[in-house]
Amino acid sequence: MPVSETAMTEADPRPGLSDDARERLLNIWVPIGSAVSLLLIWQFGVRLFEVPIYIAPAPTDILAVFTSEFPLLMRNLWPTLIESLAGFFVGNLTAILIAVAFVHSRQVARAFFPIAVFINTIPILAIAPILVLIFGPGMTAKVVIAALICFFPTLVNMVRGLQSVSPQALELARILSASKSEVFWKIRLPSSLPFLFSALKIASTTCVIGAIVGEWIGANVGLGALIIESTFNFRSPLLYATVFVSSGLSVVLFASVTIAEKLIIRW
Amino acid sequence: MIGVDGSPAHKQESRVIAASLSSASVKFGEFTALRDISLDIEAGDFWTILGPSGCGKSTMLRLVSDLLPPATGTVEILGKTTEAARLAREFAFVFQDATLLPWRSALKNVALPLEIGRKRGIDIPVGDRTPQELLELVGLKGRENALPHELSGGMRQRVAIARALVCQPKLLLMDEPFGALDEMTRDHLNLQLLDIWKETGTTILFVTHSIPEAIFLGQKVLMLEANPGRVKEVVEIDLPMPRHISLREQPEFNVYCTRLRRLLEEC
Repeated sequence: MPVSETAMTEADPRPGLSDDARERLLNIWVPIGSAVSLLLIWQFGVRLFEVPIYIAPAPTDILAVFTSEFPLLMRNLWPTLIESLAGFFVGNLTAILIAVAFVHSRQVARAFFPIAVFINTIPILAIAPILVLIFGPGMTAKVVIAALICFFPTLVNMVRGLQSVSPQALELARILSASKSEVFWKIRLPSSLPFLFSALKIASTTCVIGAIVGEWIGANVGLGALIIESTFNFRSPLLYATVFVSSGLSVVLFASVTIAEKLIIRW
Repeated sequence: MIGVDGSPAHKQESRVIAASLSSASVKFGEFTALRDISLDIEAGDFWTILGPSGCGKSTMLRLVSDLLPPATGTVEILGKTTEAARLAREFAFVFQDATLLPWRSALKNVALPLEIGRKRGIDIPVGDRTPQELLELVGLKGRENALPHELSGGMRQRVAIARALVCQPKLLLMDEPFGALDEMTRDHLNLQLLDIWKETGTTILFVTHSIPEAIFLGQKVLMLEANPGRVKEVVEIDLPMPRHISLREQPEFNVYCTRLRRLLEEC
C-alpha cells in the first residue's frame, strides 16, 4: 500500500535531532502508524475471511468508490455543510443572547431556564420528525435541528462564563463607577470567552450530527440522505465513504474553532 | 522636597482631612462588623490598620470606598460623601489579589480606569503621569505588553498599584496588597510604596496582618478590636522618614513591635 510506505520512510528516526524535536515527531507519527496498522488489519482481515462487500467493504473498496463517486459525495456534502454552519451560527447566537438575558435578569432566568432544560431533555431523534413536519422537507428543518442540538451546551457554558467574574473584579468596577454595559463589554464578555469556546468546540461536531439526523427524516440531498440511500441499496462502500466524509466535515469544523480559539484567547 | 524631619513636604503645608468617619458602624444582618468608628485621617498621612482576623479591617476599607454603606454614622472623603468621592475618583483601591484583567496587557490594565466612563462623557481626572510613566515608576519598564499570566505575583501587584495611581487619587486604600507575596518581594515593594507615597503625596490607608509591616510603613497604626470591630488604639509611630530596611534592626522599632504585639494579644 502506498500510504504505509510513505509513512514508514518519513518516520525513520533522523540522526542529529534534539530530544524535543524527536518527541514531537513521535507524537505525530505514532498515531499515524497505529491508524495505518488498523487499516492493514481491516484490509487483510476482510480479504482473508472473504467477507462479502455489502457487509464490510475493504479500505481499498472504499477508496475506489471515494474516487469514482467523488462528484456525488461533494454534491451531497454542500447541503450538509451549509445546514451545519447555519445551524451552528443560529444555535450559538441564540444561546449567547439568551445567556446574556439570563445573567442580566434573574426573573428571565427563572421563567425560561426550566423550559430550556425541558427542550434539552427531548431526544433529538424524537423531535426531528416534528420539526420536519413543521418546516417541510427543505433546508430550514435541518438548520433548526442543527441549531437545537448546539443550543443547550452553549447556553449553559455561556451563563457560567458570564458569571465567572471574580467578586473583586466587580468591586473594582464599582469603585471605578462603571456602568452595567461597561461591566458587560469590558469584564463579563471577555471573561466568558474561554467558556464559550469550550461550548463552540462541542457545537462544531454536534451541528453536523443535527444536520445529518434532519436529512435522515426527509431529504433527497445531503450526506444524511446519501447514508440512508446507500444503506437501503446495499452500496456499502458508498455508505462507508459517506460516513468518512461526514466525520471529515466535523473534524474540519472542530479544527476551525480550535484555531480561532488559539488566535483569540491568548491568556 | 523633603521636610526638616525627613517627612514629605506636603505633610506640613496641609491640615486637610482626607477621610473622616464619625460614629460609623457597619452591620451584616444582626452581626455588627464595625461599631462606632470615629476617626480623622489627615491628607498626606500613611495609616496602617492592624487587628486580629475578623475585626473588620477590610470592612473598614470597604466602608470608606463606598462598597458598603454605613448602618449608622457618616463617612466623608475630602468633605464629600463617599459616593461623590467615588464618582470623582478621589480614591483608588488595591486588592489583596492584583485583580488584573487577564486578557489585557500590563499597560492596558493600567489604562483601564481612564477608559471606564469615557464614552459616557464623564469627566475622568487624568493624573500627571501617563500609564506608561506609571509602569516605569513601579519598575516595570519594558513589560508594558506582557499579559498578567506572564508576570510574577509581585509584578502583578505593582501593575495594580500603577492602575490605582492613574487617576491621581487623593486617597489610596490598600487591602493587604502584599499579603500573598514572599518576604523578599514584600520588603522590596514596601520600600517602593514609601517612595511612591513620597512622590505622589497621596494619603494611604493600608490594611495588613503583619506587625513589622504596619510599623515600617505607617506614621500611625490603627489597632482594631474584634466582636464587634472597634478602635482599640491609634499608635503614632515616631520613626524618621525616609525609612530603610535597616530600621527593622533598631531597638526603637522593636519597642513598637513589642507594644503592638501586647495590644494585639489584649484584643
